Amino acid sequence: MSSAVDTIDSTSIMDELTAIVGEGSASSAKHVRYAYSYDMSFVEPKPPDYVVMPTTVEQIQEIMRLANREKIPVVPYTAGTNIGGLCIPERGGILMDLKRMNRIIEIDDEAHYAVIEPGVTHAMLAEALHAYDLRFGWPVGPPSASVASCAISHGIGGLNARYGLNSQEITSMEVVLPTGELVRVGSCAINGEAWHSLLPLPQLDGLFKGWLGSTGIVTKLGIGVHPLPPLLKVFTVSCVDVHDMYSYMLNLSKYEICDDLTAVSWWLSQVPIPSPYRPKPEGTPEFFSFANTTSWTQKEREAKEEIWQMVVGEEQAKGTSLKVTEYPEEALRARTQLPSQIVGSTKNYCKEGGAGISWPGTFTPAKKWAPVYTDWKRILIDHDLSPAVRMSMYRGVHYGMLRAMIPFSKETPESIENARHAIVECLKVDLEHGGIPYKPPVDFAIEINKRVHPGYLDLLKRVKHLLDPNDIMNPGKLGI
Amino acid sequence: MDWNIPTLEDLEHSVWRCTACGTCKTAYDYGPPPTNADICPAGTEFGFEGYMASKGKIAFARGILRGELDLDQDLVDALYKCTLCGGCQNQCQLDHKPVIIEMIEAMRRRAVEEGVGPLPGHKIIAQSIATYANPYQGPRRVRTDWTRAFRKGTRPVKDIQKEAAPILYFVGCTGAYNQAGRVMPTATTSVFNKLGLDFGILGEEELCCGSTAMRLGEVDTFTRLAEANLEAFSRLHRERGVETIVTSCAGCFRAIRKDYALAAEYEEAMEGIEVVHVVDYLHRLLEEGRLDLQAIEPRVVTYHDPCHTGRHLAAFSVDEDGSTQYAGAYLGQDDSACVYDAPRALLEAIRGVELHEMGRIRSNSYCCGGGGGVMTGFGEWATKNAAKRIQEGEATGAGEMVTICPFCRNNLGEGAKRVGNGTPVRDLTELIDEALAGDSGLGKASKGG
Repeated sequence: MSSAVDTIDSTSIMDELTAIVGEGSASSAKHVRYAYSYDMSFVEPKPPDYVVMPTTVEQIQEIMRLANREKIPVVPYTAGTNIGGLCIPERGGILMDLKRMNRIIEIDDEAHYAVIEPGVTHAMLAEALHAYDLRFGWPVGPPSASVASCAISHGIGGLNARYGLNSQEITSMEVVLPTGELVRVGSCAINGEAWHSLLPLPQLDGLFKGWLGSTGIVTKLGIGVHPLPPLLKVFTVSCVDVHDMYSYMLNLSKYEICDDLTAVSWWLSQVPIPSPYRPKPEGTPEFFSFANTTSWTQKEREAKEEIWQMVVGEEQAKGTSLKVTEYPEEALRARTQLPSQIVGSTKNYCKEGGAGISWPGTFTPAKKWAPVYTDWKRILIDHDLSPAVRMSMYRGVHYGMLRAMIPFSKETPESIENARHAIVECLKVDLEHGGIPYKPPVDFAIEINKRVHPGYLDLLKRVKHLLDPNDIMNPGKLGI
Repeated sequence: MDWNIPTLEDLEHSVWRCTACGTCKTAYDYGPPPTNADICPAGTEFGFEGYMASKGKIAFARGILRGELDLDQDLVDALYKCTLCGGCQNQCQLDHKPVIIEMIEAMRRRAVEEGVGPLPGHKIIAQSIATYANPYQGPRRVRTDWTRAFRKGTRPVKDIQKEAAPILYFVGCTGAYNQAGRVMPTATTSVFNKLGLDFGILGEEELCCGSTAMRLGEVDTFTRLAEANLEAFSRLHRERGVETIVTSCAGCFRAIRKDYALAAEYEEAMEGIEVVHVVDYLHRLLEEGRLDLQAIEPRVVTYHDPCHTGRHLAAFSVDEDGSTQYAGAYLGQDDSACVYDAPRALLEAIRGVELHEMGRIRSNSYCCGGGGGVMTGFGEWATKNAAKRIQEGEATGAGEMVTICPFCRNNLGEGAKRVGNGTPVRDLTELIDEALAGDSGLGKASKGG
């Protein structure tokens, strides 16, 4: 494990960091840095030179001023549970662990928003919101994952079909810029007590969403939260063919009755995902779908069921392979009880591979799901990996999430490279069909930039330079 | 004896089953209602990922195995900043779950083997265990000081080396040597006397169980003591009719039940002998209607589950032959051997006692902070952590905290002093002693009954 701190005199930087955050909250010890050098993904491990744990906005500002002055990279970190290597430092520097900034500052149960710090986990927020009969879209991730990091990285949640991406729930932001200035965007920029809306102001929040932590440190986030209807009904179907499943999902989604409308391939419905690849049993459906609906009254629930039955009838009348079926119980519980300890994208159902989990995770036009899946399946099986694919409708039907969850062993470099190669090949297919990867590792960013409009890339660079003139914020992640 | 104590290399495949997902970092339950709480004392205190739960410790294991981390003093210090409580293990759902504590202990064993562990404070204890057969540098004769009151009273404690008895009461070093800890054997003996049980002790011949040595990575000291104890147990079974070993120390209980079982000869040595924690033993008597518990002064108590009588005794099922999932797959956890229900049932059976539970209990009990050598190595942190637990108990409205481990009792007591609220920390046998009538064996000075 090589690192700048092994070869240069880092005493003065450490002294300054310690002076800012206090003894015990900054470290350049090798073992401390090592634990931040890798994540679940195939991304090559690289350690930071320093790790610092601020607890206040003022401390973050001071760290950024120091880093900007010394031109030291800064990598924001909350839980490190992404599977794209987003918090693995490309160029060393200061890893800023924000887990101790974990206050839920406000829950407005009348205006239905919450204000949180970056270290607030999904588990913390779930517990706090439940006291108000409120909810937020939990991703299929561990309870310790950060709500804010998921949202600003355009992460998904369990309410995507109804409310859109978690980033679409953001109502206001407070951010420390790479140069140390504090800015606010959204209603809180005008009134420090108002965190309810980004609109109708210019949407400057876009400067900090989807940038993979390369434009600033989000220190407070306003997010929309939603009432929790008491009645849950999950409709489950299966198909032997991906086209039939797409047809069903398209049909059902137009009625907008679902909180989550998802289909998973047989391999993803297994707990755990078979790793290495195993063929599915003869005669088993290729896809299963769960459609989560919530209702306030029994009549509303019955009305939703009536719609769902109508859709099923229509699809069966088309001669598709759609069947009303049981979704594997454990997997279904995991999907509807989030954040889940039973299984999550990062846990139990990926365990057979070993230490590695990565993905091609994309936003792909729904009508392209079937051809992309067909190609992904071929590529993944060729690499002895299971085509554990998920398709989820986002708000509306124009696009959705298409991803393959790939468990792999990290015991040998060969198995890591095999997974990386397969995943990047899958991504290329998706890009050709108009898909876009989210939370992309650098390998993906390079593929995007090969195809991107030159004007877009130029604008991206100019905005990045405007905000981060010394290129210190999570440098290298955008592939520019 | 032939010991199956794994090296870090033996566990390498398990190290590579951890995805670093971080599920181990927090105790979460979906509910509804959902609940969430810190579970890792080290992670809570030190914050950096390497200190956080099993995710962090396994990072160290990876680094050591790959030759990317040296076992230098910084790393050794970090390895001992862990209470080995197993709170992280209880959250994990992956295949390495069954050996999480073993992995951390294997790193400590390696540190000892390489001459860089344990920490200086631990070395004094380790030396004492090796030399005096107790961690308190106490002479053998002091082991029986606590029995003096019974000797002066109506019923001296039987020396099982001289007289046969079906029950061996394995007192443990803390009960014998620690001044505050002596309340435990005193209460236990009083209870046994009131119940008319025929039991004896090893007295000055009792040796340390070796639990502390094992936790510190001092494996040679552990195996030497364990072998001597197993041989003694076997001999006492043959020659003195011992059928049951009762411990009132959670550490001794865990060691004899679980650590000693790593010896190939364990089954043979323990044939015809059952080891049981005193609380489980008394609970059986309660269920048999032989424990006539009277009313005591009304009080609200809360109960702290020690790690060693709790989740450390969980059994894990693994798909050994691949017939269910695949070879080596973790399949499930069985908590039936964990001492969770018995102490609660006993507390509820004492009239006048009202049990108010804390949020973090049973398999998600929050460690007092004293385990794994932390009380010795990092006393300030251990006390600080115990203070948090005391405050958690206080928030339930309880006026007393009850537990069944001498280490927890001592450390929580220090925590109570730090909080400054004077919350008494009691061993459960103390309350049972209060609630039982009869001859304690202490004579007129007896407080029991």
